[in-house]
Amino acid sequence: MNEWLEELVPPIRGDGDWDDVLRRARLPARRRLVFAVALCVAALAVAPALGVLLTRDGGPRLPREADRSNVVVIVQPATGRVVVQAARWKGHDGICYLVLLTRAGCAPRSARKTVVLTPPLAGYTFDRRVVSGAAVSLAGKHVPLVVRRFEKLDVTFFLTRGRMPRFLREATLFDANGKVVAHFTFKH
Amino acid sequence: MLEELETLYRSRLPEFRRVATAIAGDRELGCDAVQEAFARAVRKRRSFRGRGTLEAWVWQIVVNAARDARRGRLVFAEPHDAAANGHAPVLPLDLLTERQREIVFLHYYADLDYAAIAAALAISRGTVGATLNAARRTLRQAIEEVPT
Repeated sequence: MNEWLEELVPPIRGDGDWDDVLRRARLPARRRLVFAVALCVAALAVAPALGVLLTRDGGPRLPREADRSNVVVIVQPATGRVVVQAARWKGHDGICYLVLLTRAGCAPRSARKTVVLTPPLAGYTFDRRVVSGAAVSLAGKHVPLVVRRFEKLDVTFFLTRGRMPRFLREATLFDANGKVVAHFTFKH
Repeated sequence: MLEELETLYRSRLPEFRRVATAIAGDRELGCDAVQEAFARAVRKRRSFRGRGTLEAWVWQIVVNAARDARRGRLVFAEPHDAAANGHAPVLPLDLLTERQREIVFLHYYADLDYAAIAAALAISRGTVGATLNAARRTLRQAIEEVPT
């Protein structure tokens, strides 16, 4: 039986080809790369549609009544995030706004009107005197407010700095001479 | 791990090729199956848990690759052709089951002991012994019956 087995499959000499083994071993890695690239392409193709869906069903957006041909924005420098969007209210004397992606609406113009939205502190005023603002935190710390006036819309927006919302005790808006234009206290 | 695989490849290549050729039924397919099996081993080397020996783990991959090669073959070898020319002895391999053939090949061509064969085929050591004995009996009877 041993003789027969010897002759059935004679010994196979040769050194083999280890490089060939390594080449074959790499093939699936290439396939994985091709698959990953295809996945990325597919993701890019689907992303816009997904974005539309998420935006539509997600948080507030700049109202449809806004004149989108001329939108102004405030961008947070640290993150590049748009924290305020505003535009004229079509067919009205007023503005439409989206603040911190959480509050949106349209408001008629009123000479001295100031609106504060909390938390976090943000708002707008039609009072042209306002040029700066400050707030006091619950811990008693004074924090300056970001104040931006948009001449085109004749409105001034204000909000707290930084990424984290702060719990505030009070906020004050000032004119160019440092005089108090408006003062707000918050209850927690 | 990669170095150990290369060392195993270089030191045991004739045995791997011989067993793979016997299982695949074709020398070229058998040698190719060994290359492919080692490529698989290289790719999956991190999945080797060290529960058995590295060689047993590789044998398992080689046997599977040789089986795949045999199943993918378009033309099956005729075992009695060579005998008809008088150049090879006749043994009725067809009388053996697939498992019996594999155990015979691993035992005679690779000189593996029962434990190593059991690990390579993922069966118990007792099954290896019983199957090998049954295969031997069948082959001896067949040899005695074949006219020379």
